Amino acid sequence: MKPLRIDSMLAPAALEVRGLCKAFGEKAALCDLGFAIPEGSLTVLLGSAGAGKTTTLRLIAGVERPNAGRVLMCGRDVTELEPKDRDIAMIFDNLALYPNKTGFSNIASSLTIRGTPKAEIEQRVAEVSSTLRIAHVLNRLPKTMSGGERQRVALGRALIRKPGLFLLDEPLSGLDAMLRIELRAELKRLQRDIGATFLLATPDFAEAMAVADTVVMLRDGRVVQIATAQSLYDDPADREVARFVGAPEINLLKAFYEPGILGSIRVAGATITGLKKLRNALPKAGGPFEIGIRPEHLKLSQPEGAPIKAKVFDIEPLGLKSMVTVINEESELRMIVDTDAAGRYVSGDAVGLELVDSGLLAFDAASGVRLG
Amino acid sequence: MTFPKLEIVNLRKLFGNESFVALDGVDFAVEAGETVALLGPSGCGKSTTLNIIVGLEQPTSGDIRIDGRSVIGIPPGKRNVGLVFQDYAVFTHMTVFENLAFGLIIRGRAKAEIARAVHDVAELLGMQNSLKLSAAELGGSELQRVAIGRTLVTKPAILLLDEPLSNLEASARIAMRRELRRLQSEIGLTIIYVTHDQVEALCLADRIAVMNAGKLQQIERTSVICKKPDHVFVAGFMGSPPMNLLRGEIIGDGTSAGFRRDGLIIRLPSSEAFATNYVGQPIILGLRPESLTLAAANEATICGKVAVVEPRGPEAVVTVEAGTVSLKAVVPTAERPQEGADIGLLADPSSFVFFSGETGRRLAS
Repeated sequence: MKPLRIDSMLAPAALEVRGLCKAFGEKAALCDLGFAIPEGSLTVLLGSAGAGKTTTLRLIAGVERPNAGRVLMCGRDVTELEPKDRDIAMIFDNLALYPNKTGFSNIASSLTIRGTPKAEIEQRVAEVSSTLRIAHVLNRLPKTMSGGERQRVALGRALIRKPGLFLLDEPLSGLDAMLRIELRAELKRLQRDIGATFLLATPDFAEAMAVADTVVMLRDGRVVQIATAQSLYDDPADREVARFVGAPEINLLKAFYEPGILGSIRVAGATITGLKKLRNALPKAGGPFEIGIRPEHLKLSQPEGAPIKAKVFDIEPLGLKSMVTVINEESELRMIVDTDAAGRYVSGDAVGLELVDSGLLAFDAASGVRLG
Repeated sequence: MTFPKLEIVNLRKLFGNESFVALDGVDFAVEAGETVALLGPSGCGKSTTLNIIVGLEQPTSGDIRIDGRSVIGIPPGKRNVGLVFQDYAVFTHMTVFENLAFGLIIRGRAKAEIARAVHDVAELLGMQNSLKLSAAELGGSELQRVAIGRTLVTKPAILLLDEPLSNLEASARIAMRRELRRLQSEIGLTIIYVTHDQVEALCLADRIAVMNAGKLQQIERTSVICKKPDHVFVAGFMGSPPMNLLRGEIIGDGTSAGFRRDGLIIRLPSSEAFATNYVGQPIILGLRPESLTLAAANEATICGKVAVVEPRGPEAVVTVEAGTVSLKAVVPTAERPQEGADIGLLADPSSFVFFSGETGRRLAS
């Protein structure tokens, strides 16, 4: 599978990084990082702690210098420019606002510092606050604003400078679960309404899926995959991406190619035949490999006649859906089942399992590389 | 006579010269061996409730009873209530063993007893081989395990957990969730679990108590609360995304009834006899996102434009705008529409939930 390369497009990208390398002492933080993001899009840098997300943002903003590589904005090389000359606004976690300043002063702060004339400041704040629908909080202090209003003020403060690019470093990380879900939908909508270019870093794949036009998946300082959020889920570059994206986690099982019969494998103590999706990938695998099955691609059925037989081990209610864990001698599998249906089972019940062929993924057992 | 393990009786707490009501008459009971999750947004009073149960705060009025006896006035250390915080509160200069033993050492227990209790708890938590490690070498989920173990070793009658998993990464959180469920069933603890994460509440609790602005909105069995929210706040809080709530009125002529909001009219099944009782009154109609399905325009309940499509992997959340109404529907990934498309949504009338527009309470149907 080829990663999507956006840098081949004709118009210069709002941002392009080429061959970025950065080491802190002996430790390499980023290694040959390259990606491009088109104007007006929302791109997410996704990866676990230590993957290099914040370092990438800091190199783009100019607060750190790369050991090698270039940063280009609209085709212009900005690698040697000071942060203030890069036309970039950065928004950090918790949407840090000045707590002792009103909404107006928070939004106007960057213009005030530059000594912009008062009349111009007032006009620009009025424009920005009408775009963001926050005219009613201009005279209020942050503590009297709702989470959504605070987010919009933080954006307004960045937006007023009309930057070419917004960098957001885990902007929603300090908030509670409900608010985070509400604000990420709003963030996406605002980004679209104002047509700005956003690069947002997060370790939360659900957040990435909810907001991203494109996801740049980072691991150990390298780009692993560039794709839309849904294709990251459906079509992961390797086993680690498949595990990172999706909750509950994808089921990974040792499997063996059955010689002689095309599209037939042994997995979870059963022989599965007629696998259309994996048929072409399997012969390449030769020996043992790993098969990845998303929890929604397993269906419970009667044990008689079902390809895989197992026992119910655990039922974890998650509201309208439940996570059912089943085990047999060979394997343990998690699946998502309607809570009403899951209620018909108790731990220890014998069940059958059926696979949804179209959702199966195959990985090399040693390297984790996608086979099919 | 038998008493519930823990009773919270009409608890009130005022802060700041009595100008701020943190708790406004909270009242519930927890049975022995039961897990109750306190769920609500930041500032709803859940942590204050916990602090009063453990004895770190005194209530303005009301009572806390354990096994039927009031514990107001009994200092925190003597209530036999264990509290585990979100921040692990583990001594990083000590080993795992020393951390686990700490509560027993300060209680002056005999060395042999301490060793036995620590080994029992370490076995329960699967940390037998980590006892000699320095706590500074542990990762987040192991630290939280030590923090829980430190509390368990004192054999509390009631275990209070204040957002114990919220500092963990997603995968560690899921593993710890399962660990906690195993502990529940193996040692039959009575647990109060504070969280703002409803998934944690749903999978760990027997019952969920939803709090808002110092009030208990509903306490109900986990399997029921998503389907039968008593109050519009609970409906708007549970579920991801939560129920769509449309404020409008019931219209009808005695034979047929409908729900109207601005230009939108949704016909109600004639079996909804109750609807006729509310003609002309303000009503909030609850539509669960999972009960809305995509439909052709001529069959649809509501037609509108797709504003946002949020993929989630197996399914996608589609936000549809129709006039002044914005609705979220959950659809399978393969069926998801394009943003900007005109689509119809079909609502299953049997899933409609009605709330009073005045009190926010669910109306019996």
